[in-house]
Amino acid sequence: MNLEQLKQLKEKAQKQIALRESGKKYRVVVSMGTSGIAAGAREVMKTMLDELEKRGIESVEVAVTGEIGMVDAEPVVRIEEAGGEKTTYAKVNPEIARQIVAEHLEKGRKVQSAAVGKAKEQE
Amino acid sequence: MLEELSLHILDIAMNALAANATRIEISVLETRRHDRLILRVHDNGRGMDAATLEKVLNRRITTKTTRPKSIGLGLALLRQTAEMCDGHFQIRSNPGRGTTVTASMRLSHVDRPPLGDLNATLITLCAANPNVDVRLDYRTDQEHFRFSSQELTPKGEVHP
Repeated sequence: MNLEQLKQLKEKAQKQIALRESGKKYRVVVSMGTSGIAAGAREVMKTMLDELEKRGIESVEVAVTGEIGMVDAEPVVRIEEAGGEKTTYAKVNPEIARQIVAEHLEKGRKVQSAAVGKAKEQE
Repeated sequence: MLEELSLHILDIAMNALAANATRIEISVLETRRHDRLILRVHDNGRGMDAATLEKVLNRRITTKTTRPKSIGLGLALLRQTAEMCDGHFQIRSNPGRGTTVTASMRLSHVDRPPLGDLNATLITLCAANPNVDVRLDYRTDQEHFRFSSQELTPKGEVHP
């Protein structure tokens, strides 16, 4: 634990909050129950936040949820589009998380290799 | 299972969010002088009645079919860690008055997990829940640092 790091946290947290609040086009939900955390969901979340900030993407809202009953697929990340379409990514690691931001959230192209199930259309 | 104490903190804080807390107070005390590490997570969520609390303490692990809120497993893990490291685990809760989870361990115990990336834990909690006041009170023999996600002026101070 480094006190200097902690001091920088404040500023960073504010930035991340601003990022989160300005979002509209996509909503990212990271499963942050015990099994998700044990599988590395926190690092996935942090990577996505850092990557969104780095790329200056502001149209994305990031949220967390508790256990979702997909224990063996954790860490799970769900992307909800403003239009209602949902994509679920399983066994996400920081590298896949970066891909999701670069491809799906920035360019609108799904990362098929990490997506599971069928995309649900609500209309 | 959870390799860092900061992951345990995140896990307990997620319980607090599930209980609709608007304020989560995390305190970490690391004292070499007394060879203790004490973690406390206090929330102002809806709390639990005695019957629910008993279930939690009996390690009633929630399964998929009975999962209104998967409370139980994470607490059991933290208790196991605390007890393995010559420490104690305590949970206090009252309906409407929030919940306090406290875990202590021997700082120098060989099995004590590292505190780990407390930064990442706080960033995760703050970013995902901008309306929740996430507070940290971090104290060692030499230092004292306080953080609140809702206060614009940082209160962080070092007391040598």
